[in-house]
Amino acid sequence: MSSPWTFAARRLLLAAPLLLGMSILVFGLMRLVPGDPAVVVLGYKATPEGVRALREAFHLDEPVAQQYLRWLAGVLRGDFGLDFRQNEPIGRMILERLPVTLELTLLATLCTALLGIPLGLVGGARRHGFADRATLAIGLVGVSIPDFWLGIMLMLGLSLGAGLLPSGGFVPLGEAPLDNLLHLVLPALTLALSRAAVLGRLSRAAVLDVVQRGFVQFARAKGLAERAILFRHVLPNAAIPIVTVLGLQIGYMLGGAIVVEMIFTLPGVGRLTLDAVLERNYPVVQSTVLVIGAMFMLVNLATDIVYGLIDPRVRRR
Amino acid sequence: MRRRRLPLAGLGIVLALAVLTVLAPALPLGSPTDIAKDLALRGPTVTEPFGMDDLGRSILSRVVYAYRISLGVAVTAAVLAVLIGAPLGLVAGYCEGLADQLIMRPLDVLMAFPAVLLAIALMSVFGTGAVLLSVALAIVYTPVMARVARAAVLATKVEVYVDGARALGATMPRLVLTHIAPNAATPMLVQTSVLMAIGILIEAALSFLGVGVRPPTPSLGLMLADGRGFMLQAPWMVVFPGLAVMLAVLGFNMLADGLRDWLDPQAPAGR
Repeated sequence: MSSPWTFAARRLLLAAPLLLGMSILVFGLMRLVPGDPAVVVLGYKATPEGVRALREAFHLDEPVAQQYLRWLAGVLRGDFGLDFRQNEPIGRMILERLPVTLELTLLATLCTALLGIPLGLVGGARRHGFADRATLAIGLVGVSIPDFWLGIMLMLGLSLGAGLLPSGGFVPLGEAPLDNLLHLVLPALTLALSRAAVLGRLSRAAVLDVVQRGFVQFARAKGLAERAILFRHVLPNAAIPIVTVLGLQIGYMLGGAIVVEMIFTLPGVGRLTLDAVLERNYPVVQSTVLVIGAMFMLVNLATDIVYGLIDPRVRRR
Repeated sequence: MRRRRLPLAGLGIVLALAVLTVLAPALPLGSPTDIAKDLALRGPTVTEPFGMDDLGRSILSRVVYAYRISLGVAVTAAVLAVLIGAPLGLVAGYCEGLADQLIMRPLDVLMAFPAVLLAIALMSVFGTGAVLLSVALAIVYTPVMARVARAAVLATKVEVYVDGARALGATMPRLVLTHIAPNAATPMLVQTSVLMAIGILIEAALSFLGVGVRPPTPSLGLMLADGRGFMLQAPWMVVFPGLAVMLAVLGFNMLADGLRDWLDPQAPAGR
């Protein structure tokens, strides 16, 4: 068995080639676009001079390997280059939108934990009871609901119908904190509900696993109250798998954010990616996909490392 | 006994949808594409229980035809992923060492992206359309299938009966194909059912976002995108296509749960 820190260091070292691979994949993918990107961007306005100027400005005449290294060197310095359309630095576009996506993900994670963990505890503590069956049913239906449809339904019911919450748009946190939160309630719930259903199901399984162990039976035999058993003996031991699943779900929310940001017109990185895809703004697609992918990978890596630090058995692998 | 009911219901949903999509042209449905301006945005009636859309097309009929695309894309993607992923996983698991690294490390890179994001990125290069979407989803799934196959091989090849077959002089292809691969079939079947559910979700999501199936084709995601503009006057335009996606996904998820319980006798019940 290795020490916790060599375990963490080894995982981090393995992340470097993965990130490199991801950058090669994303860069290579965007070179596969049929036709000359310069012609695609300029569209019907393309003149031979315009195409030549664009090719020169974006180094499209260089060998592909050289283009890749130039891009990678820039990315490592935080410079993602300029976009094809507005000639704006892509790095700044991403930085401006990142806080929206991060805030959305953070709120959704909070909702997921607050809804999912109690659901699992209630279900797992009383096996085969009504609450247990309800947990299973909610878990199954929850994973099957398309989140973009859930978003539309929530919008239809709570904002357009009942007029309780704004249906879209965004107000920066610094300008009007309360308004900012109100605008993010529906998007965060949309993102959280199906993940909470999954977390509830897995928490239930984790609790069931612990409840059967000898030390819980012993605690019960010595006459501890059920509540004390649940909070003092079951929950701390079930926490490791629960926290791990929650960590993995933060990653998945980064993917789900693309759809949710589109429905609720939030100016986040997901929306930026989608707009760039629809406008065929390939340099932007390339950079945002890499940034979201890297965040997803790093969140999973962090979860993995934390899991290993808490639970020494994992480190043996 | 109760444990069997849910998976059977899942199987029932999946079979019913399969029959529905195959028989769609023979069913007494309105045309999914005929436009009738005077019927535009008419609410649900006895003959048209799902109502009409903004162009007066039957939503029920469109949902049925959209299922053809939805299931077609999901099945094609899953089959392609098995055909590509299974051999890769079998070879990686059997050979280990360098071959394993050469096969699995690039697949890890694909797995390092969120599925929806990778599918969107692929579609941005491929362009839109049902066939291209199936290929994009197959690429997203291949690493999953390869991992499942590889894990099954790693667990199986150390079994005594495999050693026995090897001692009796079985060749490598024979060992892998007749003694090891059948053990990978079970987990891959479960995974296929899960991927069908995810495929239906991603097809709908991508079409909804405008990077999936192309407009004249009826697709549940496209119907939701159209319905958004009319959701206050005609909520049935968004309610029914969404419920349709959910029903199909629920069916495959229930089936996957059941297959897992049935086929893996060692799995603890009711998890």
